[in-house]
Amino acid sequence: MTTRTRHPLQRAALTVTTALATIALIAGCASGIAPQASTGSDEPQEGGDITFLIDSLGATWIPNSSSISSYQGHVWGHVTDKLIYVDGEGELSPWVAESWEQNDAATEFTIHLKAGVTFSDGTPLDAAAVVANIDIWAKGAPDKGIARIGLFPSANYVGAEAVDDTTVKVTFSKATLSFIPTLAYHGSILISPETLALPAEEQADLSNDIGSGPFVVESWKEGDSVVLKKRDDYDWGPEALDHTGPAYLDSITYKIVAEPTLRTGSVQSGQADVAYNASPQELDALKDEGFFVSVPRYLGFVNGYALNVTAAPFGEEAVRQAFSHGIDRDEILSTVYTEDWHAAESFVQSNVPEATDHTDAFAYDPEESAQLLDDAGWVEGADGVREKDGQRLALTLYANPYLATSKAIDELVAQQLAEIGFKVDIEAYDVVTYGEKVINNKTLAATEITRSFVDIGTIPGVLTASNPGDEDWFKVGTSDATLNDLSAQVASATDRDSRAAVFDDLQQYVLEKGYFVPITQIVQRVYVQTPDLHDVTYNGLAYANYYTAWADR
Amino acid sequence: MKSPYARFALSRTAQAVVVVLLAYVFTFIVISVLPGDPVSSTLKSPDSGFTQDDIDRIIAYYGLDEPLLTQLWTALTRFLIGDFGISLRSNLPVSQLIAEALPSTLILATTALIVAIILAALIAWGTQVLPGEYGQGLLRALPSLFLSVPNFVIGLLLIQVFAFGLGLFRIIDAESPWSTFFAAVALGIPVSAQLAEVLIANLDHESRQEYVAVARSQGLRRTRLFARHLVKPSALPTITVLALIVGELLGGSLITETIFGRTGIGTLVQRAVASQDLPVLQAVVSLAAVVFVVVNLIADLAYPLLDPRVSLEHSLRSRDSDPTTEQPIRTTLQEEVSVI
Repeated sequence: MTTRTRHPLQRAALTVTTALATIALIAGCASGIAPQASTGSDEPQEGGDITFLIDSLGATWIPNSSSISSYQGHVWGHVTDKLIYVDGEGELSPWVAESWEQNDAATEFTIHLKAGVTFSDGTPLDAAAVVANIDIWAKGAPDKGIARIGLFPSANYVGAEAVDDTTVKVTFSKATLSFIPTLAYHGSILISPETLALPAEEQADLSNDIGSGPFVVESWKEGDSVVLKKRDDYDWGPEALDHTGPAYLDSITYKIVAEPTLRTGSVQSGQADVAYNASPQELDALKDEGFFVSVPRYLGFVNGYALNVTAAPFGEEAVRQAFSHGIDRDEILSTVYTEDWHAAESFVQSNVPEATDHTDAFAYDPEESAQLLDDAGWVEGADGVREKDGQRLALTLYANPYLATSKAIDELVAQQLAEIGFKVDIEAYDVVTYGEKVINNKTLAATEITRSFVDIGTIPGVLTASNPGDEDWFKVGTSDATLNDLSAQVASATDRDSRAAVFDDLQQYVLEKGYFVPITQIVQRVYVQTPDLHDVTYNGLAYANYYTAWADR
Repeated sequence: MKSPYARFALSRTAQAVVVVLLAYVFTFIVISVLPGDPVSSTLKSPDSGFTQDDIDRIIAYYGLDEPLLTQLWTALTRFLIGDFGISLRSNLPVSQLIAEALPSTLILATTALIVAIILAALIAWGTQVLPGEYGQGLLRALPSLFLSVPNFVIGLLLIQVFAFGLGLFRIIDAESPWSTFFAAVALGIPVSAQLAEVLIANLDHESRQEYVAVARSQGLRRTRLFARHLVKPSALPTITVLALIVGELLGGSLITETIFGRTGIGTLVQRAVASQDLPVLQAVVSLAAVVFVVVNLIADLAYPLLDPRVSLEHSLRSRDSDPTTEQPIRTTLQEEVSVI
């Protein structure tokens, strides 16, 4: 029974979606309650309970393993605080850390904490607690089965110490400009040291995970829901949010509803307040009905392909460039997405502070593509696929199961590239198989990228293989001296201004070489919300924050 | 000295234990053949950015780098002392996950069974007592209609109309009485179709018997005939089907639970399959095997009580000594499990 379920299940899920169109027709009578216009008051009101419908609440609640998840991150964002806040433009500002400074070499950082911050069990959030947290982010506890936080600059981490009750000093072996921004990352949540000392199976019980956030866990049921209630003595929210004291809302309920149309249907019929991850195609209709749609972008890489220079046909620069210029991104935006999505301008999202516009380096130009391939000796065969020395110009794209629109994009790309002589096949796997066959597979010609980060200091580690643990996306290793040099300059920079200048060159170089082929800026978190919920904020990782929100009802 | 009952019960229990153990080992083998494990699939998610080194160390902690036989042995010895282990996915004790999920599924399955029985009985009753065009045409077509409409379509329709349209229940209060009722209707409709078909076939068969003709000729009304003479003999094979339906309810609960936002054994299995969470899968498969075995045992025991022609003595003797004697209609446990 169990082992057969996977594929029928997936089929069922597909069929559910297609069947819904029919059902919408049959049940046309059931369009539900029309949203009411706000009663007009701009003054925040105390009280109110909201329900947030989400596709999943991920795997486990062990803080280190789950806080970077796109699902559990919502709950953590309300139950815990961070040292630093990052807004949608990548701007850093004080939160639990009142201020911070660094030495000229960017290897030593001193963080000054707000006094009087407490965890919800009453214990102080002091320097010792921060040291315990930084240590577990950097190293994890592998002997307890607890991983470190991905994207934390662990490789250079030397240690953290409590100078006094409110001062923490953190040391790295090399310049690590990305450290301070990483403190605002959704993985870097402050948890009570007592929780961190628990064994994995007790940390996995969310009710044991004590944070200092504006909400506390009232109850939870694994795989079903989490209920948060307001903490009345909270008074240390991010300064940037311009709100002091406790939250306005009394409670937030996160409830799993796996089927996307049921999530939006619940909000449409007034049974829930927020539906997470609606499909782009639904959004325009929902807006027309008066619902509020948010598609905040996170700081990170754009959605695109990393091309493997050691795999045919991408060993040739001309082929990579032809591939890049052969993709009509406007058609993808207008076909797969709505006007809320933006064209990529570089290989990082345009809200990353150091991002600059390099659109020309990968602009759609099929004639240019054809010319490049002609010059490189790729001749069109009888079936329209180009060939050279008996090799066909063929590759396979693997749709990214973490991005719902990935397969549709790959299909369009395949069509567009077929016109200039590429033969593109598409394979779509579930998350587990994808992890096994695609991620870390060094032989694939192209790998689709969607990844968030808070600071470009993380980027050199994916572009080359200069250090152990580097991801080497394009498999160039250290063979490209220019790429090496530019990456090393970004990695070892000691101030953000000089780094931004080098990063501009690096973006142009990577795109011109056709190593990274951007498609669109990514929106991985889509919120459909009732209009009577006001002042929701979105941080730099595109998470909705209800600390400042209030309900007008 | 052993009574035939004790012998019967003992042999059935032994069979049950073997079936449960085999199901356990079988699940292990099948899941182990599949690629990946929940730990590395979580760590490999593109947002996490771990190196292969990190992944290897965590996997070593969970013993997932051990040879398969060692892993099987660990799991099996734990299982035999009643320890289901820790879920690889959620890191919570498997027994806790099952204890949280089971009540919801039991309530749903029981309600669905009641809905199915009532619905099937009504349809079957209608085919016997209603005038031709309704009883023979419309009602007899219902079971095949129920079977051909997928479970989730019924579920989504019920939600659109009764939850979103009429506001009778809310998706987010998935365990509320109305919510449970409509989920049970969605799950019970296909099941009722099978029950109704068997019941109708048997009622038709019985109504062609001579005693019915005699009763009719004495002027007995249709409803009385149905209640007095037809129901009991027709119910016998229906009970066999009922026992099989329990398996169907467990399987069908998956889609119903997902759609109605309930968290039960079905959703637990779904998540465990998607992430290859072996300890959870093994526990659930064993649990399903236990439920199935117990339900069939009950059906086995109930059968002779309802039909004196099928005695326990007869059933035992016929298998032990005299193969030429007419076999009881009731199939044995092994046959049923092998069919699934």
